[in-house]
Amino acid sequence: MTNHQPDRRRFLAGLGATGAAALLSGCVTSTSTGKSSSKGAVTLQSNLSAPQAKAAMEDLVAAYAKKGSGKASLNTVAAETYRTQLPTYLTSANPPDVYTWYPGSVADAYAKKNLLLDLDEAWTTSPDLKRYTKALNSLCTSTSSGKKVFVPSTYYWWGMFYRKSNFAKWGVSEPKSWDEFLDLCDKLKKKGVNPIGLGAGGGTAWVASAWFDYLDIRINGAEYHRQLLAGKHKFTDPEVRKVFDRWQEVLPYFDPNGAAVAFQDATTSLLNGRSGMMLIGTFFADAAPKDALDDIDFFRFPIIDAKIPLAEEAPVDGYFASARTGRRDQVIDLMKYLATAEAQEIYIKGSSGTVLPCHPDAKDAGTALVKKGRAHVAEAAEITQFFNRDSSDALQPTADNALTKFLAKPKSIGSILTDWQRDAEKIWNA
Amino acid sequence: MAVLTAPDRTSPARTPAQGRRVRGPRRTPPLVLAFVLVPLLVEAVWVFWPAVQGFYLAFTRWDGVSPPQFIGLDNFREMAHDDVFRSATGHTVLWLVLFGGLSALLGLAAALLLQQERRGVGFYRAALFLPVVFSLVATALVWQAIYQPDGVLNQLLQSVGLGRLRHAWLADQDTALYAVIVPALWRQIGYVMVLYLAGLKGIDPALYEAAKVDGASAWQRLRHVTLPQLRSVNAVVLSVIVIDSLRSFDVVWSLTRGGPYHSSELLSTYMYSTAFQSLRLGYGSALAAVIFVLAFGVICSYLVRAFREAD
Repeated sequence: MTNHQPDRRRFLAGLGATGAAALLSGCVTSTSTGKSSSKGAVTLQSNLSAPQAKAAMEDLVAAYAKKGSGKASLNTVAAETYRTQLPTYLTSANPPDVYTWYPGSVADAYAKKNLLLDLDEAWTTSPDLKRYTKALNSLCTSTSSGKKVFVPSTYYWWGMFYRKSNFAKWGVSEPKSWDEFLDLCDKLKKKGVNPIGLGAGGGTAWVASAWFDYLDIRINGAEYHRQLLAGKHKFTDPEVRKVFDRWQEVLPYFDPNGAAVAFQDATTSLLNGRSGMMLIGTFFADAAPKDALDDIDFFRFPIIDAKIPLAEEAPVDGYFASARTGRRDQVIDLMKYLATAEAQEIYIKGSSGTVLPCHPDAKDAGTALVKKGRAHVAEAAEITQFFNRDSSDALQPTADNALTKFLAKPKSIGSILTDWQRDAEKIWNA
Repeated sequence: MAVLTAPDRTSPARTPAQGRRVRGPRRTPPLVLAFVLVPLLVEAVWVFWPAVQGFYLAFTRWDGVSPPQFIGLDNFREMAHDDVFRSATGHTVLWLVLFGGLSALLGLAAALLLQQERRGVGFYRAALFLPVVFSLVATALVWQAIYQPDGVLNQLLQSVGLGRLRHAWLADQDTALYAVIVPALWRQIGYVMVLYLAGLKGIDPALYEAAKVDGASAWQRLRHVTLPQLRSVNAVVLSVIVIDSLRSFDVVWSLTRGGPYHSSELLSTYMYSTAFQSLRLGYGSALAAVIFVLAFGVICSYLVRAFREAD
């Protein structure tokens, strides 16, 4: 009877040994290579969790099912969770098939790791995708393999938004050049209005990156900007310093609470007339009251150097698919549908309607604002996406730190840029 | 007689059972073994195993997508030269002292104040304990509204003529950390108070009577009776405070995300943002390992000493 104890000890030792063996095989951290099943509906993983956008996606999936060529099942995940979980989805053994996400360097980073499905077949056989612009073509092509890995659906634009009625009341008009812009700021400040709203506090520090992006593409051009974000230039370069010198010229006109409130609160101030204008994307209009929507207008971020080709920020949204999908043919079919004018019109109709379709023939929401936005983007020679989309989500926090520090202590820009370069190098080398 | 014979009659039937009980400690019934091993296995798979994985990851470079790359002690070497890590450690220590110290002091004070059974004391106890019931994220949202540039706090300052103290509390590097400690403290005091109330209830009233008879003042009774008697509760409170300080994350993350520019960064928020925002999971795991060692070290050393004294 007493020999039970050694037995038990041996058993526990065995348990420990199996644990150690499992540890060596490292099953949690290893990348598995399974294939998902080939039956059933294509799973469409979506981060569009805002009520209107979610409903619009449901309409889209229902319309696809009605068409009869295949079925998709929508799985909507909260945006912040989605962002952190995406690498896990893509590397899991049984991944969802299709994902909403961003083209350009973000998709390219996954494509380099062979995680994205080759969509060349969709692009060559779809009559719709053949007619997409050259810019979209190159945006959706992987730089490592030269294959298409993305299908774009909609885009939106950034601009200096303001309320027409307020500008009329204050007796001011849209500026064209940087000097006119400074004049406008000065006039508004004298009227007791905060000229420029920001909204880089309360968890939306990334909004400040729009200012960095725009000043950089106006002063150094889109090409330099993209290379800078890819780590081919340094944040300590004199070119970057010029960006902040310009920024300091307008800094006195920024809302003093700009770095303390979230962009949602900053846009409320804009709509209430407490601040004059704001550099923001059209998504802010989702939360605007309907009667204010007709009163909203925007102007182009002022030109600083006329020799630099005109560039605008117009982030594209769309879809990519997992390389491990077991439903390749169904995925290609769904992708081709998502690229049609019909699919994009369904989405725009269901959502807040401030986005523009990527399909050249698809109708937009038709409001004056959207028409102006479409022309605004079409006039640009170069399109940039946004700081995180042109680099990576991992680089964004380094910008947030540097820019909020600059807003608080503009005089220590030298050390801020040194720190930014150091932090960014850690991300580029990771 | 019947009473005496009754055990005799049943004793033959019981003998084998008693015999088994005598040998009991040497042989464990399979059911008991199962009760020990099954939870151990579950614990091993869901707790120990991921923890060991985390320690392994601390020695790798991993982006969450490609397979992790073993790099030895490089992460810890980087930490030695990392300014943000250094300031986050400083903030964590400050947090431990302010949040821990004040919640222990104020919790004890509240418990002493509310220990007597008087009319309405239950209401005050409940009121102080109430914040513990709320989720810290919800608490943070309320406090965020209070700290807004146009929020309650600034309006209050304005109305009492202290308008020049108006502040963007969460966006200013000089006030952000303290502004975040207050809501955490607001919640923790009630929790510590309940722990101390339970401890105070366990003190023998005879001790106080004896002290009174000996002519001890109220202060002497507190100093020489109450505090020594609370020693075992102190151990619990200290463990709770150290653990809660080091894992304080939710309230900081929802209010400032460690910003502006790392000025309210704690080790826990730095670990999270490194791992899941910068996607440097190896370095993030190394930070987690440091947090673990700190928490475990502090608590172990205290518990060992406390138990030694108790023996």
